[in-house]
Amino acid sequence: MKEKATYCRMNPHGVFVNGRQKVSFNEIAVEDALTEMYRNLALEYPKFYKMDLLSKVAFLGVELLKTVDPSLVSTQNDDQIGLLFANSEGSTHTDMRFQESYLVDLLPSPSLFVYTLPNIALGEIAIRNKWHGAHMFAVFPNFVPVYYADHGKIMLEEGAKVVIGGWLDVREKLDALFFVMDEGLVNNRENILHFVSKCYSN
Amino acid sequence: MSLPVYIGAESIISSLGRNAAVNFKRICQGLSGITLHKQLGWKESDVYLSRIPELPERGKFLHLLNAVLDDLHQGWDADMLSSPDTQVIISSTKGGISDDLKNPFHPAVTALVARYSLVNRPLILSNACISGVIAINLAARMIRNELCRHVIVLGCDLISDFILYGFQSLYAVSDLPCKPFDQDRRGVTLGDGCGRVILSRDKSTFSSKPMVYLGGSDANDANHISGPSRTGEGLVRAVEKALIASNVNPDQIGFINAHGTGTLYNDEMEAIAFHRLGLDSIPLNSLKGYWGHTLGAAGVIETATCLQSLRNGILPASLGYENPGTTKPLHILKDNRPFDGEIILKTASGFGGGNAALLIQKE
Amino acid sequence: MASNTLKEELKKHIIEQLNLEEVRVEDIEDDAPLFGEGGVGLDSIDALELIVLLEKYYQLNVTNPEEGKQVFYSIETMADYIEKHKS
Repeated sequence: MKEKATYCRMNPHGVFVNGRQKVSFNEIAVEDALTEMYRNLALEYPKFYKMDLLSKVAFLGVELLKTVDPSLVSTQNDDQIGLLFANSEGSTHTDMRFQESYLVDLLPSPSLFVYTLPNIALGEIAIRNKWHGAHMFAVFPNFVPVYYADHGKIMLEEGAKVVIGGWLDVREKLDALFFVMDEGLVNNRENILHFVSKCYSN
Repeated sequence: MSLPVYIGAESIISSLGRNAAVNFKRICQGLSGITLHKQLGWKESDVYLSRIPELPERGKFLHLLNAVLDDLHQGWDADMLSSPDTQVIISSTKGGISDDLKNPFHPAVTALVARYSLVNRPLILSNACISGVIAINLAARMIRNELCRHVIVLGCDLISDFILYGFQSLYAVSDLPCKPFDQDRRGVTLGDGCGRVILSRDKSTFSSKPMVYLGGSDANDANHISGPSRTGEGLVRAVEKALIASNVNPDQIGFINAHGTGTLYNDEMEAIAFHRLGLDSIPLNSLKGYWGHTLGAAGVIETATCLQSLRNGILPASLGYENPGTTKPLHILKDNRPFDGEIILKTASGFGGGNAALLIQKE
Repeated sequence: MASNTLKEELKKHIIEQLNLEEVRVEDIEDDAPLFGEGGVGLDSIDALELIVLLEKYYQLNVTNPEEGKQVFYSIETMADYIEKHKS
C-alpha cells in the first residue's frame, strides 16, 4: 500500500492537496480563482478556457494529483488508468446555462450543449492525458464511499493499475474530491472506506 | 474461470410497442416508428422523431421506468425485485429533465425505491450514448465480483426541447429519417426509448431461456469531446478488450449490432474501426432506423433486440441503408436474414469520446 | 474591402464568444486561416459557434456548416460576407 495518500479536495474555502491548502477562495469568485490556479500551474493548455465549470474542476483536480504524484502518468500504459467519478447534480450547472441560451438569448449554444453531460469532464481528462482506459460517471444524491470501494476494486481487477476516484459538485457550492486508488489500497475494504471518507471530510 | 452470467427478460418500450416481442416483430416487418413532427423543432422547424405515444404530460421518465418494472413478471421472478441480492442500474443521459432541469434523476429513483421496496438504491449511470452498454457490462462485473446476484438494467431517455435544440445547434439532426452508414446520410433522428435487460447468476429466475453474457469493455478515444476519433482508436480498443474478456476470437462473431447513428463522422469512424479489427465481412446492422437514437436507452434497447435475434434466429435489416457510404465497406444487411449463429457483438460510441462493446451468446 | 473597424469588432466577438482567453485582437491576422494548424486553430464546435455569432451580432444566417467553410475561412472572408449581406 502506498505510504502517502494522494488526494485533492476543493470546497468553498479553497483547494487542498494532501491536506495542505494551495489556494484560498476568500474574496474571489470560484471560477476566477480556478482560472488563476490554472495560470499559476503554467499548463499551456488553452482548451481549458473552453471547458465548462465541471470540466475545469475535474481537469485541475487531476493536474494537481499529477503534481504530487508524477508516477501517476509515468508508470502506466495509456489504458491502465481508470476514471471513476460521480456527483449529485449531473451536469446541471451547464444545463442551466444551455437552457438559458435558447430560452433567453434565443440562440441555442453548441459549445454549451456539448458539455451537458457529466462524463464530458472525463473526456477532457482523457484528451489532456491521452488516457484510453475505462471510465464511468454515476449520479447519487450524496457522496458514497462504497461506490469507490466496490467499483474501484472492479476496475483494478479488469486491467487498470491505478484508478482516479472523483466527486464533482459545482452548482450550489464547490464540493470536489480527487484521489488515487491502487490495488494495495482497495484490497482492504475497511482501509479504502476509511481513506475515502477521511479525504472527503477534510 | 469467471462465473457464468445470464442475460434475458428483455423488454422494449418505444414508438413501435410496449414489449420486446412486439417491437421485434414490427422491426422484422420493416416498420419504423419515425414520423414527421410539425413545428416541434427549433424555430418551429418540422423534424423527424420517434415518439412513444400516450405518455403523461409530466413525469414521463418515471412513468416509463414504472412501466418497464411493472411488467417484470412477464420475464422474470418479480419477487426478487425487493431482494437484498438485487441491484437496479439506470442508464440515462437527461432523465426527467423536462420536469425539473435542476433535479432530473433523484426524485424518480426515490419513487422507485418506495414503489418496489428496493433494498439497494438504483445506481444512475450518465455516460452519454454508451451508458446502456456500460451499464450492462457493469452489471456483469458486479455479479462476478459477488456484489449482488441479480441486476436489472434499465435504459431510459426522452426527447425534450433541451435535447432536440441541442442536437439542432450541432446541425446533427437529419431532415429525413436517419440512414445509418448510407451514402446519403444526413444526421441523427432522435427517439424516446425505455429498455430493460436482466443479468443474473441464477438461470432459474428467468421465465424464458436467458442467453449468456460473455464479456465487455470500454475505452476512450482521448481525441475530442464531441467528434469521434478519425482512426476509431477507442472503439478498436473497446472491442479488442471485450473479445479478450469474453475469450472469443473475431471469427466466432456471427453478427454485429453497431451504433450507427447516421451522422457522417460517427458511421465513418465505426467503419474504419471494424475494418481495423478485421470484422468488415461480418453481417452488421444499425437499429436506429427503426426507433431513432434513444441516447441513454440505446445500449439497452439494442442489446434487448440482439437477444430477440438469438431467440428468433433472425437478424433485422439495417433500415435506411441502401448504398455504401463509408470509405471502408462493411457487410451491412439490406434485408432481414435468418441467423443460426451463436455470438453477437454489440457496440456503442458517444460524446466524451467513449466507446463500449459487449458480447452475448446463445445458450 | 471590409472596413478595419468591422474586422476588429469581429476579432473581439470571436475572442469572447469562443473563449480564446489567451488570444488578443492583435494576435489574429486578417487573412490567417481560422481553422486547422498554423492558423488561429479553431475546431468543429467553434465553427458552429461562429454561425451563432453571425446571427447574434449581424442577424445573418449561414444555413449550414458547408457554406460556413468558405465564409469562415478567415477574418477577411467573414468581414466581406457581412458587408455584402448587410444591405
